[in-house]
Amino acid sequence: MNLRKVLSKSVISCDLPGTRKNEVIEALMDILMTTGKVRDREAAMRSILDREQKMSTGIQNGVAIPHGKTDVVDDLVACFGIRKEGIDFDALDGEKSRIFIMTLSPVNRSGPHVQFLAEISQLLTDAEKREKLLGAGTPEEVLDILTT
Amino acid sequence: MRRLVAATAALAVVVPLAAYAQSGGGEGASEMTHRITILVLQLAVVIIAARFVGHLFKHGLKQAAVLGELAAGILIGPYALGSIPLPILNGPLFPLELGPIPVRPELYGFAVVASIVLLFVAGLETDLPTFLRFSIKGSTIGLGGVIVSFALGDAAAVFLLPNVDSFMHPEALFLGTVSTATSVGITARILEERHKLSSPEGVTILAAAVIDDVLGIILLAVVVGVSKVHKLGGGVEWGHIGVIAAKAFGFWIVSTVLGIIFAPKLARGLRKFKAFEVTASVAFGIALFLAGLSEEAGLAMIIGAYVTGLSLSQTELANELQEYLQPLYDFFVPIFFCVMGMMANLAEMGQVLFFGLVFTALAILAKLIGCGLPALATGFNIRGALRIGAGMLPRGEVTLIVAGIGLASGAIGHDMFGVAVMTLLVASVIAPPALIRAFEGGAGLRVAAAPERREPELKDIVLNFSSPRIAEFIRGQFIRSFRKEEFFVHQLELHQPFYQIWKEEILITLDQKESSIVLQTEAQYEQFVRLLVLEEILELKDFLETIEGEESPVSLSKELFGKEKLGGEQVGNESAEGDGIRKEESSEEPDDVR
Repeated sequence: MNLRKVLSKSVISCDLPGTRKNEVIEALMDILMTTGKVRDREAAMRSILDREQKMSTGIQNGVAIPHGKTDVVDDLVACFGIRKEGIDFDALDGEKSRIFIMTLSPVNRSGPHVQFLAEISQLLTDAEKREKLLGAGTPEEVLDILTT
Repeated sequence: MRRLVAATAALAVVVPLAAYAQSGGGEGASEMTHRITILVLQLAVVIIAARFVGHLFKHGLKQAAVLGELAAGILIGPYALGSIPLPILNGPLFPLELGPIPVRPELYGFAVVASIVLLFVAGLETDLPTFLRFSIKGSTIGLGGVIVSFALGDAAAVFLLPNVDSFMHPEALFLGTVSTATSVGITARILEERHKLSSPEGVTILAAAVIDDVLGIILLAVVVGVSKVHKLGGGVEWGHIGVIAAKAFGFWIVSTVLGIIFAPKLARGLRKFKAFEVTASVAFGIALFLAGLSEEAGLAMIIGAYVTGLSLSQTELANELQEYLQPLYDFFVPIFFCVMGMMANLAEMGQVLFFGLVFTALAILAKLIGCGLPALATGFNIRGALRIGAGMLPRGEVTLIVAGIGLASGAIGHDMFGVAVMTLLVASVIAPPALIRAFEGGAGLRVAAAPERREPELKDIVLNFSSPRIAEFIRGQFIRSFRKEEFFVHQLELHQPFYQIWKEEILITLDQKESSIVLQTEAQYEQFVRLLVLEEILELKDFLETIEGEESPVSLSKELFGKEKLGGEQVGNESAEGDGIRKEESSEEPDDVR
């Protein structure tokens, strides 16, 4: 899957604001709203928080993948953020989360949605890559690290 | 709707036939009706016997079902029970026909169409990219197996059969070809069960089987050509054989290359029909058309069918076509093996038993040596070479098709056809235990070769549920989820909850064992599978909570079977509602069953 098709410089932040889980999610949603592809911010937030309520999407190694299914998008949208200091995201391994990938996908449409999440989180099982990402200063650098 | 069309088509054939017979169409018409009636009865017995004995072999004797179908044919054929006269028919059900083919041409016609279906599907299933990836090893090993098998089979005929005086004698050529064709279906299934299909030996066997099929079919084309010349009294000089071989190879290579070039265009054109049944029928029609053309061009019909399948195998239609043709395949293949069994005359086997035993032993030895030695030369150790040799042992449909063509053309007699059946039976029965033994122990690669070809690490994800019914329901949800992620899901065998799920290079297997679901994939895709499973389970939890929030069962049942609705005129309305519920339930089913 071509990550560049889904992620572009404009949806990457190397310095996410927020010190709590909800604040980081809000900040990520702000980025998604800039794409103009999310019709209703409130409904989109609800889908992300509903999913977080069922089980945290903080997976492991400081990576979290908040995601939700909602009818306010027509296709998969995603954004990428880094919070170097790390925050408590109720991660399954108890570690603080530093790297975030948020996605929204339409409810009843086929498409490689889970596969996208899996591929990007798979990339992040590489410790060296994670370190490089945390050291990245610009969205271009992040995109280069993710796609090489 | 489909049933209606089928019924109309059947009436369109049967009614004029009956009308023609009744209107005094003469003896010809009544003879035709009689022959068709016999054909219908024969098919009934063939289908039931083949399925029944096949089932018995599979579940009782733990052997491949095709061996049972073949045995059913031997049992009910014109050389055994089929020759017993039945009072109701004023004769036997399977009368012994004069000429090379001992069954009626109509029934034989079904077997020929079945062989076209078989080879078309075999072509569709051919994994050319895998073959090309492992082509050097695969080609060397496949080629070795074909050359040694052909040489030993041909030599056995020359040295042991009194009427065969040269290596170019049609009987020797056919026996050589009969010995070459491997059928890796049995091997693939055993390796899959033992998680060895992706091992270096497994991949090499599958790649070698591709070249084995291709070479076997080219060889058949040459042998058919040479026998035709021989039959016409023409000399079988080397120059002449060279021309025939070049013609056969030329036809094969030109039609394959043209097929591969034009197949994507054809696939796009066929897609325009929108209705896949039309696409599948047109594709099968093309296979039949090319089969006929290749026979007319002096080659065998199966070559055209195989080339059509091979050409379409690399298009996006391949998977859907395979799935769509599965019922046709399931219907025709038992008929094919059963009718082939009917052609074997056990009584005549007594005279050629010694030859048959030697021929079978040579056929087994030929694959062990012919595939094993090149395997040793390409990085495998003795254990690996033995595994590959054992994997290439089983013989199958191509053996029978070659023998059948030899029989029909008069190149071989019923006795030698029996030898071919015997080889198939013995090799296929010996292969599974040999393969299981061979795969015990350590690595099959030489130490120096091992690092460059590491076996991909496979991960099992096992989920246990409280009952098989729950596991079955969740299996259906998982499959739906994979489809939504645009994966292709293929149920390996009907009525068995075992699936192959793939997209591009990701391959996953899903197997339901009682109340457990086991998903297997390469380590690098494990996270994706785990994530998908987790998401689906969370969604199901949500769904169950929603159901709990619905009205209580008591109030629901009151609504469904309320007092006032049970009596009088209300019942009629209620049953309509009940139908609605049933429909909703059945609409859930296809996801699970497909």
